Amino acid sequence: MAQTVPHDTHPAHAGHDEHAAKPQRSFFGLVQRPQEGCHPIIDWLTTVDHKKIGIMYGLAALFFLLVGGVEALIIRLQLMVPENNLISAQAYNEMFTMHGTTMVFLAVMPMSAAFFNYMIPLQIGARDVAFPRMNAFSLWTFIVGGIILNLSWIFTAAPNAGWFGYAPLTSKLYTPGLSTDFWVMSLQILGVASLVASFNFITTIINMRAPGLSMMKLPVFTWMSLITAFLIIMAFPAITIALVEVMFDRHFGTHFFDATSGGKPILWQHLFWIFGHPEVYILILPAMGIISEILPTFARKPLFGYPLIIFSGSVIGFLGFTVWSHHMFTTGLGVVASTAFSFLTMLIAIPTGVKIFNWIGTLWGGRIRFTVPMLYALGFVWMFMMGGFTGVMHSSVPVDSQQQDSYFVIAHFHYVLIGGSLFALFAGIVYWFPKMTGRMMSEVWGKVTFYIMFAGFNIAFFPMHFLGMMGMPRRTHTYKAVMGWNEGNFLSTIGALILGLGIAIFVIHLIWAISKGKKAGANPWDARTLEWATESPPAPYNFETIPVIKVRDQVWANKYGTKSEKMGALPAGSHGIHMPDRSWYPLTANIGFFILGMGLIFHGHAVKLFGFEMHLQGFDAWIIPIVGAAILFLSIILWACEGPGGYHLHPEKRAEDKH
Amino acid sequence: MALKSYKAIRWVLPILATLALLFLAGCDYTSKQSALDPKGPLAQNQYDLFMLTVYITGILWVLVGGALIYTVIRFRARKTDDPNTLPHQSHGHAMIEVGLILVSTVVLVILAIPTFKGIKLIHEMPAKYEKDAVIVNVTGLQWWWRFEYPELGIETANELIIPAGRAVQLNLRSDDVIHSFWLPKLSGKMDLIPGQQNKLWILADEPGYFYGQCAEFCGDSHAYMLFRSIAMNAADYEAWVARQKAGALVPFNKEKPAKIDLTSLNNLEVINKGRDLFNTHCSRCHRVGEEGGVAAPNLSHIAGRSTIAAGWMENTPENLHRWILTPDAVKPGNNMWNGMPLGKLADGTADRSGMPGLRTANLTSEQVDAIVAYLQLLK
Amino acid sequence: MSHAHATEAPTNDPFHNELHPGEDTATGIPNKKVAMWAFLASDCMFFGTLISTHLIYRKLHPTVVDPKEIFSIELTSASTFILLMSSLLMALAVSAMHKKNVVSARWCLAGVIFFGSLFVGAQCYEFHHFVHAKELTLTSSIFGSTFYVLTGTHGVHVTLGIVWLIGWFIKTFSKSFKPEHALDIEVAGLYWHFVDIVWIIIFPFVYLIEYI
Repeated sequence: MAQTVPHDTHPAHAGHDEHAAKPQRSFFGLVQRPQEGCHPIIDWLTTVDHKKIGIMYGLAALFFLLVGGVEALIIRLQLMVPENNLISAQAYNEMFTMHGTTMVFLAVMPMSAAFFNYMIPLQIGARDVAFPRMNAFSLWTFIVGGIILNLSWIFTAAPNAGWFGYAPLTSKLYTPGLSTDFWVMSLQILGVASLVASFNFITTIINMRAPGLSMMKLPVFTWMSLITAFLIIMAFPAITIALVEVMFDRHFGTHFFDATSGGKPILWQHLFWIFGHPEVYILILPAMGIISEILPTFARKPLFGYPLIIFSGSVIGFLGFTVWSHHMFTTGLGVVASTAFSFLTMLIAIPTGVKIFNWIGTLWGGRIRFTVPMLYALGFVWMFMMGGFTGVMHSSVPVDSQQQDSYFVIAHFHYVLIGGSLFALFAGIVYWFPKMTGRMMSEVWGKVTFYIMFAGFNIAFFPMHFLGMMGMPRRTHTYKAVMGWNEGNFLSTIGALILGLGIAIFVIHLIWAISKGKKAGANPWDARTLEWATESPPAPYNFETIPVIKVRDQVWANKYGTKSEKMGALPAGSHGIHMPDRSWYPLTANIGFFILGMGLIFHGHAVKLFGFEMHLQGFDAWIIPIVGAAILFLSIILWACEGPGGYHLHPEKRAEDKH
Repeated sequence: MALKSYKAIRWVLPILATLALLFLAGCDYTSKQSALDPKGPLAQNQYDLFMLTVYITGILWVLVGGALIYTVIRFRARKTDDPNTLPHQSHGHAMIEVGLILVSTVVLVILAIPTFKGIKLIHEMPAKYEKDAVIVNVTGLQWWWRFEYPELGIETANELIIPAGRAVQLNLRSDDVIHSFWLPKLSGKMDLIPGQQNKLWILADEPGYFYGQCAEFCGDSHAYMLFRSIAMNAADYEAWVARQKAGALVPFNKEKPAKIDLTSLNNLEVINKGRDLFNTHCSRCHRVGEEGGVAAPNLSHIAGRSTIAAGWMENTPENLHRWILTPDAVKPGNNMWNGMPLGKLADGTADRSGMPGLRTANLTSEQVDAIVAYLQLLK
Repeated sequence: MSHAHATEAPTNDPFHNELHPGEDTATGIPNKKVAMWAFLASDCMFFGTLISTHLIYRKLHPTVVDPKEIFSIELTSASTFILLMSSLLMALAVSAMHKKNVVSARWCLAGVIFFGSLFVGAQCYEFHHFVHAKELTLTSSIFGSTFYVLTGTHGVHVTLGIVWLIGWFIKTFSKSFKPEHALDIEVAGLYWHFVDIVWIIIFPFVYLIEYI
């Protein structure tokens, strides 16, 4: 390794500095490859900067959070009173299917991805991720997946078989229209986005760490992201294959899940939950990472038991692959399998408990400042603990046989996904907002929002524990007044409305703070990890010189540590900082992906939209997918041929320009 | 703005706690379908285990939650803190960690042992119940339940009649998508999955009227897939079995003369018409006595059931009228309206041409009145 | 973590890494290689899922089909051998690149492409034969469903590998092709070997198992 390559022998380096080479041209020379100073819209569409990509992930995730939230409120309003007729049974089924799919794949995961993108390179002292253009590709693929899923509304074919899509309900026999095809295709595309992003982050975290930043000095958020990325690459193949099998069943008449021809519908559940359970940790581990950053910062103490936090995170990730069948305790697994999966599930309580103990240990003896991120973080610990307790309850098969598919389970996983993931992500937004925008969010409005959300959330979901135990099943659009569920449902709906109000205020506050918030310095919270060593917002190249890391919590050590703990720096290069060029191809590849996806959805169906009708048959049905695949393929070839390109930035000059 | 967080906590948390307590007190834990009101040994076992988990997690909740609250209050930043010193920068304590891990493990073992016993209990009916157990084959269909008593040759729908004090062995199957059998007061769930047979046993200690429901999402009208279970004392049960075995009290059948007193009926003409309409439009799927199809609920004793439309409506003439006249408004997507999917078309979608539904029958309100009058006789 | 930093080298610059692979990563392993290993780990799960589906399903066909009647084990053994030989040539191509012998690498790549195409050709013939002569189709039985989807997915992997290698084969004629591209050939080689290994698993678990 580390051979010295003489500089400026490479063609892309030649004529460096002011006399940059003539800009490359894209699409066989038709269009110029976007350069520094291009139109902002083109800049954002073609950017390969991890920070801009992170912001776009975040904004899209917030948008989809609101979409999923509106769906949730419609669900709650329908259930507010017994035998309500606000929406039909079919519409209700679409609502909860879309709510689940949207929140998992389009809100929580991408919001985590937003922080992965923005924070990981900053936390490890890198200039960007390992593959910047691939990163842009992941972003656009995620957006295409989100668009396709929600286009189903326009075709009045919103998916309605549940976010879990249990076979054989997804077969053409039971959902004949486009709805399941929309669901399958968008999940496939979102899977590609997650997989590609994960390859990228694994490489980035393993390979792009600044000198001296050993794995056991990594910030915990980066560690949890690494584990999450591994979970994604190991878990997503199972659902991808399962979805391929559903697709083949629907389009080509195979018999994977067709019981009359020997298929086993139960196989779908196994494959889905082999993905689905790790997915739960994919949603919560980044949240735990964020909390593990925020608690030490505002307790002004290092994280208690750092190695154990890392280790327990890894154990959770590993055990996550061994417990999938606890989602299937009522499918007749038999004594042996039920017992095994039950005990393995109980085991997960141990590393999870370790995390909670260590968080309390971090606070112990600290000097706790109740800033907004800290309130969210404390709220997270409290509600995640409650969700954990109910989780222990249904690790016991006999107890679970009463709770499975009831409102008790809904209460449980909303405690860990809203009280857990979402509160942590909101904590992360408030915490890192000054880093991303250079401005602070308002403390007062932040606190008001937090209390509204905290109260609304608990009023909405605490009663559901009782509804579940009192026999109210999930996914039912209505219930009889005599069942004794009226008060609980009414209260829950009121709580949901309060929670919705809180989130609405949060989003308005966020938009306000982008332009009107108080100016923030590089490290407004007196935080500990490396991202706070950059200016707010960071320069395109992140660090003027590559930092040399001496200790964990390097920024804290820079301020309070001994002299030998202070951060070093590698000498700057002679020709400025090399930045990769923007590229059109990640975007155009995804335009191809979009066309391919829509073509495959339409395949074999009569499609109606605004009075137009189209029913392609035989070879014609393949024209749209082939066109899409061709655009995708061509874009990738051109992308490979184009190379990273590049230009140079000069930090000294930027500083001068500013003054 | 003097909105100090801890001051706000003083209000938000007690209000929430009071609300929670009020709610706890206000709940009716013996409501119709409550798992907190067990009426049989299996449900009792599950309830006891649930309460064990409640106690365990309740204690942990007080301990861990209390520790969290105590820590947050005690170590909050104060104005009197010396700004020039930092809190002790401790990194962890191995023995505390190991100790807590061991304690968690012990707690889990306390839960694991009764869990294992409970799993055995679900899967294997205790020997003492076996000898006089009743066998019932349960089939889930979109969106109703078929109950067959193979030893007795009885078939009924949506109302599971069982003898109190005797165990019932349920063989659970599905003919279309996945459903789940949930009768909370007698037992937890067990799924009905096409292509496999699951087993569950239930036992009602006392006679009673129990509410059950499909607990696995099964399509449009999943929320309307309810059922009832009626546990009868021995005499009532025997009488019920005898009535079922006697077959349908079919009036106007030439080979089998009516077993009921027709002279008391004052609307013979209407009933006659209703019988004809039933035979034209309904009997390809619905069976009455020896005649009719098997794709839909057996109606031999429909008038004897307490509910119709899979437990969604009380069995009254008005409800029956509404159900037959506008099935799609009662239960969206149902096969009585759309036709039975007996086969697959070339593109994999359902072929309903073999048994068209009432959608194409265009029954008038008077015709439905006649059918209702006829069905009212099938006690 | 050893960090023998060449002075003046702009470290941790992704762009720099793309130009000078493996020179200065935290592990010393080039980024592309790490990403490829991650991809292969993931791909293991793809094939793992498909192979398990097949093993669970292969005996569940209601209409009795005896796969022994359908399979032509001689043909499949021959094509397995061909694929293995392509792996050998792939290894030779990588080795040649490391020795900066572009011409030798080019013709080894051509060999890989040729053998790979032979394999895909044999599979196409096999599919055609099964469908038309043996009446095993995607829809005829659950065995057909899993067999075609599994082996078809593998075939798509081989085909994509061939397309990728054709790209590099053409590139070897270009002036911009340098011995530094050894890494790219090596990464493509990793993929190719992986696809071969998957076939080595599919061959016994799908074909030979029917003869036990």
